[in-house]
Amino acid sequence: MKKDINHIFYFPHKPEKIWDYLTKPELLEQWLMKNDIKPVAGHKFQFKSGPAPQIGFDGNVYCEILEVVPNQLLSYSWNCGPEKGRITVESTVIWTLNPKDNGTELTLKHTGIYSTETLVMYDAMYAGWASNAKKLADRLNNITK
Amino acid sequence: MTMQTLDSFQAIADPSRRQILNMLLKKSMTINSLAENFDMSRPAVSKHVKVLYNAGFISIQEIGRERHCILRQKGFNELQEWINYFDNFWNTKLKKLEKLLNEKK
Repeated sequence: MKKDINHIFYFPHKPEKIWDYLTKPELLEQWLMKNDIKPVAGHKFQFKSGPAPQIGFDGNVYCEILEVVPNQLLSYSWNCGPEKGRITVESTVIWTLNPKDNGTELTLKHTGIYSTETLVMYDAMYAGWASNAKKLADRLNNITK
Repeated sequence: MTMQTLDSFQAIADPSRRQILNMLLKKSMTINSLAENFDMSRPAVSKHVKVLYNAGFISIQEIGRERHCILRQKGFNELQEWINYFDNFWNTKLKKLEKLLNEKK
């Protein structure tokens, strides 16, 4: 089971350039979504994209900048839900930029989608199914022996 | 009374409902035996059970006069679909950024 989203991309460009594409609304919009971002801690902004009703996402993401270290780190909250005024998912997006081989390694972590309690439950549940499946297999094996 | 169907995230956001799921992890239980573990009334517990049922986290089996609550995987799978959606979403967007930056080189 996947618990977090992690992506690492390498770009043959300086961190400053990547940083611009993460923090300037007009550049960010070119590859991500329409937005009104400002790289200032506490700034509240929104992303707007197409909806995905099958997972309960209306296409609007409500964000607040949590941490800014220019050219190195940017994090914001990422909250969304099925319709206006209903937030069902509260998560966090963290970007880090590291200079590497004359370019930049960009990592994305989208985390907190599952609360700790949910994770514990999910793990216990999977463990439960696995052991039940094993019990069943053992029983079937005994019958056929 | 018609009850609003809550999605999986909302269904497990409530502490009482999480507690119910945690109890069901160990064994299946009747609504009455679940209710014994809570200070709230049996109808209140029954309402939480219904929310969990509607969101796909439990199934209910009638054995004789008793209704047994059993954990179900479906609710958890919906949470997983959400994470899969955004995993793909980011991958697609980052590839777009890559293309964009390379064009400008």
